[in-house]
Amino acid sequence: MKTDNLDRLLTDLLHEEVERESFCLEGLEERIVTEMSGRLPRSGPFDLLKRLLAPTRGGRFAQVSVIGATAVIFLAVGIFLGNHLPVFAPALRRPAPAARAGENEILFVIPAPEAQSVVVVGSFNDWDETPLADADGDGVWTVNITLSPGRHEYAFVIDGRWWGHDPLADAHVRSFGEYNSVRYIGRVGDDV
Amino acid sequence: MYRVQDEVSLLRASLAGETEAWGEIVSRYKEAVFGLCLGFLRNRADAEDLTHDAFIRAYVNLRRYRLDKKFSTWLFTIASNLCRNRLRYRRYHPVAPPPLQIDGGNDPAQIVAQEDRAAQVRGGIDSLPYDYRAPLVLRYYNDLSYKEIAEVLSLPEGTVKTRIHRGKIRLKHVLENEGVTHV
Repeated sequence: MKTDNLDRLLTDLLHEEVERESFCLEGLEERIVTEMSGRLPRSGPFDLLKRLLAPTRGGRFAQVSVIGATAVIFLAVGIFLGNHLPVFAPALRRPAPAARAGENEILFVIPAPEAQSVVVVGSFNDWDETPLADADGDGVWTVNITLSPGRHEYAFVIDGRWWGHDPLADAHVRSFGEYNSVRYIGRVGDDV
Repeated sequence: MYRVQDEVSLLRASLAGETEAWGEIVSRYKEAVFGLCLGFLRNRADAEDLTHDAFIRAYVNLRRYRLDKKFSTWLFTIASNLCRNRLRYRRYHPVAPPPLQIDGGNDPAQIVAQEDRAAQVRGGIDSLPYDYRAPLVLRYYNDLSYKEIAEVLSLPEGTVKTRIHRGKIRLKHVLENEGVTHV
């Protein structure tokens, strides 16, 4: 078979498949418009900063001055509290946690005394495998995973078998005929 | 149809919360996104599902899109990532391949011949590893350049060229073993 023929065959077949199966796209735009109605695209991380720094009639200088003054006041109050109120001192001097702000290190744990291997798959690792360990051989498998705020769907895979009923989960959902567990971190409702 | 025609205006209107403008974007790109998903996943139900999800995810994250970039490439990247995740999920939840449907006109002999050949080519595409199939679909269905494919799949351009070349050689061998020698 010549390469040109193969190119044409591939192009034709892929287009034929889409033509044959695309009946299911009928009305997709209406469904999405209905679903999105009243929702705005999520704000970007720098949107608030951009809005604050956007030039207005009052001038950018005034806005920057206000932001700067506020920051100085907060810094001064923080230093004062740290030095004069003992109750705040340990918290202010505590070393930064390993996870970034807003993220949480979550312990995934599942008892499986007979298992040879246990992994967790979920939306936080793109459904790839993160192995659990049973270092002391007591049959309890654990792993710490840092999760960002939002909704995380996951399941354990114990010796290749799906196990979506984590008793420590916040919720369970049925997906493609099997159950998955769900954990919510921080603000509820953000899909990750 | 939505009153604004040019794409940038539609995207700006979508950013302002005009969902009708986003509906027009969906209308323009739904077939291309569906074709990508169908080619990657080889399953209509999953492709339909992920086409819907790709447009929802793109709308929700629209502020991350930079207007100086090609919109279709950004959208295809989202769809491609969703497909990759779904394939990983499918490792644990395999589905039976859908029944083959071929429209070959009225001639029974022609129908049988077309069914045979299409089934063989389809089987050949199905048998390709995802790493080879994905760039082939983007090239031969979505008609993307090597550079755009590299961007969508987050791969170096050289790797894309290699995978397309090797994918075609593999497919050619599979088809020749099946007895498909001409088109």
